[in-house]
Amino acid sequence: MSVATRTRPPRAIAAAPSGARTLRAVVRRGLRDNRRAPLTWGGSLGLMSAMMAALWPVIEDSMDELMNSYPEGLKEAFNIAELDSVEAYVDAEMLSLIVPLAIAFLAVRIAARAISGAEERGYLDTLLAAPVARHVLVAGAFLVSAIVVVEVLVVITVSTWLAGWVVGAEPSLAVLGRGYANVWPLALLSGGLALLAAGVLRRAATVTAVAVGTLVAMYVIDLVGKLADPIEPLRSVSAFKYYGSAVRDGIDPLAFAGLALAGAVLAAAGALLFDRRDVR
Amino acid sequence: MEVGAGEVFGFLGPNGAGKTTTIRTLLDLLRPTSGAARVFGLDSRRDSVAIHARLGNLPGEFAADPRLSGRELVAHFAELRGVRGLGRADVLAERFEADMERPLGELSRGNRQKIGLIQAAFHEPDLLLFDEPTSGLDPLMQEEFLAFVAEEREAGRTVFLSSHELDEVERACDRVGIIREGRLVAVEDVADITGRAFRHVTLEFAGPVDPFEFGGIPGVSELEPRGNRLSFKAAGDLDRIVKTAARHTVTDIELTRPTLEEIFLTYYGRNGGA
Repeated sequence: MSVATRTRPPRAIAAAPSGARTLRAVVRRGLRDNRRAPLTWGGSLGLMSAMMAALWPVIEDSMDELMNSYPEGLKEAFNIAELDSVEAYVDAEMLSLIVPLAIAFLAVRIAARAISGAEERGYLDTLLAAPVARHVLVAGAFLVSAIVVVEVLVVITVSTWLAGWVVGAEPSLAVLGRGYANVWPLALLSGGLALLAAGVLRRAATVTAVAVGTLVAMYVIDLVGKLADPIEPLRSVSAFKYYGSAVRDGIDPLAFAGLALAGAVLAAAGALLFDRRDVR
Repeated sequence: MEVGAGEVFGFLGPNGAGKTTTIRTLLDLLRPTSGAARVFGLDSRRDSVAIHARLGNLPGEFAADPRLSGRELVAHFAELRGVRGLGRADVLAERFEADMERPLGELSRGNRQKIGLIQAAFHEPDLLLFDEPTSGLDPLMQEEFLAFVAEEREAGRTVFLSSHELDEVERACDRVGIIREGRLVAVEDVADITGRAFRHVTLEFAGPVDPFEFGGIPGVSELEPRGNRLSFKAAGDLDRIVKTAARHTVTDIELTRPTLEEIFLTYYGRNGGA
């Protein structure tokens, strides 16, 4: 069926707001929607991380014994080197598994809810009748997840540093900061994965399952690859290979930028797919 | 099919006929498998952002984040549309008695629909798309809505209104497109549609009446006497029916409009052919 409305002089066409303006509005709304994340996600992970830092003076002396009790394979798999400082202990306890996966899940959740979640609840019908291009929605979701993750990581870092200082462990803010900052590109990649899935799938739960499943698979490939030589070559497809330990080795700028860029590319691919499909 | 600027166009069809699908195609939410839709002379897909800047849409099942109040929702859309302030949102809220302060999740369906209506119209768009707009509104608000549509027409705005209520379309629209099973079967002036529509009439008398008195009246069909009651279909002018009935003592009169499906069966046949 062809439906046409006769044209008036195109005065309002010129008034269509720019992509930058709508992107700013979408991001602002997204940040408001997720304004509790620094408190809930940052608060709970920060509390956990702060407890690890606060425990350090108590367990510091038994670390050598503990390290000797770990099998070499386990130490290699979980990036555990010398536990000779509070930062290294926080790195081993928080940054090898819990924080990367939790923050990755947060990024996936934000991205999935912004597109597929909004679609299945019917919000997109209203939103996309406004002058908002679909790729702007996807870009907005990506930016919101990136910003919220920064907020959460800052809360965790500061909580850990403060707890360490209170108990006299005197952690370095710079070292802790680089350790937690290193999680950010992994979160961008996770958000990008979710947006790629949302470009095709309409249910937030399915998008989350696909993105988180992919991340877990990458984690397992990386873990097994460290232990089993035949699997080792497969590690190159895992984001966790490039994650490393920024507390111990500092941030690898190439890996950092590469993961962030991969996240942006996945999000862009998601935007292309989303632009080509029906919104139901 | 073409809708003119400043026209109130009704899109009429039973549930599942394709009204919402058509509107969603105009909005570029659905992509046509063939054919094309143009709004303001622009391609509904390629130029969707420019088109959306000039329209307001009220979906049949209006949904938005339940945590937002009406004011927050409209403020968000004002920001997206580049509108300073809230436009005429407060005027519309007062008119439709909408609560702009409570979260949408705490509002009844009808009150949410009012917020949806405000969201669609606050920026005074050139084109208003309403999909089953009065569903959930109480009768007083339905009346107010129809008055609002008439005022929008006076202001030169175009209104595209889908409905399965013949009465609503008859009162609000200039022309009507009838859709059935995904196909546009007719585009007619409202007067032509309603002029051709019949009514179900039931008369109840104080005593027995000879049905043949009514059988000879032009437009009367399907006479069905039952005791002192007489039921039939009446098309066109009711004057002779009233005058014939007035010869007897009438204890009750019932006039009902045909359903849309009945109109389709009458005018387009069981196979839907025009």
